[in-house]
Amino acid sequence: METLFLEAPYDKNIKLCTETLNYIKNKKYTKVALYASVQFCNNLQKVEEQLKKIGITIISSKPKRTQCQKQLLGCDCYKDSLNLTEEVDCYFYIGDGRFHPLALVYSQKDTKKVKEVICDNPIAKTMSVLTLDDITRNLKRYKGSLIKFMSAKSIGIIITIKPGQEQYKPASKLEKMYIHKKFYYFIDNTLSFDQLENFPFIDMWINTACPRIGFDDHELFRKSVLNLHDALQADAILRKESFFK
Amino acid sequence: MYNLELEKVIAKIKETNAKTVCVQLPDGMKPHANIVEETISKETGARVFIWLGSNFGACDVPLGLNRLHIDLLISWGHNKFQKEEGW
Repeated sequence: METLFLEAPYDKNIKLCTETLNYIKNKKYTKVALYASVQFCNNLQKVEEQLKKIGITIISSKPKRTQCQKQLLGCDCYKDSLNLTEEVDCYFYIGDGRFHPLALVYSQKDTKKVKEVICDNPIAKTMSVLTLDDITRNLKRYKGSLIKFMSAKSIGIIITIKPGQEQYKPASKLEKMYIHKKFYYFIDNTLSFDQLENFPFIDMWINTACPRIGFDDHELFRKSVLNLHDALQADAILRKESFFK
Repeated sequence: MYNLELEKVIAKIKETNAKTVCVQLPDGMKPHANIVEETISKETGARVFIWLGSNFGACDVPLGLNRLHIDLLISWGHNKFQKEEGW
């Protein structure tokens, strides 16, 4: 069976609203990282012109699971998936909704200073800013999961069969790293949160499906949950100068 | 506002001679599923099935459609996902 993906591009002009331009000028930023969701990322010429006109240098990247430069996915919530090598003053996101730009905030969770994400919504012609404050509540809980992982003995690893998830091999590295812990492997398609409590012998869960589940949906897990990416380096994360120390 | 690109859909169905098509829409586009279904049916004669479930990303395509003899899956709102090392 063949699959045809259609991007459903936004078919009107995309340009920054006055509020966004004034905000960025007042902040005196000079170098920004520019991203957009797939509906907008192929039509950013006007936005780039506007930014250059006020002296902004635009940096971007092609995150590793995307098809094109500047495209941002909701799962680009780790710095290494963004493939961004240069330092910037702030992040800039074009699109609607908070799900995608929050990934840019999460991607900085292990750093000393979280840079703000300026969001311009070309549909509503509005601007908003996302900062560490927008994810602090989730990160506090997540820090608890990191600490719990260090002492947990019986751990359930959730592996999903959606194409591109399927993270059994990377997850199995944990067994070699933590030989005194017992790991159980669970398979699912879309994660069945209501089934988790049927396994009371599990101390906590490792999520290998969409990493946003580990951050945004922790309240649906009765026990702690940690993304595989962080479980593989839990000790180092807790020692680093960041929100987690 | 968001372009459904139905001309691409029609062309693909004709090109592949698909007789059964499953359409997967993001939540924001689901209210327009009737337009998609009616256009495809009228223009190509293919039987259209509308995916009821989630469409979180290009990683979230319906599995098991082969068992229902679906010839073509059309998924809106995403582009192809670059797979990482996996299973």
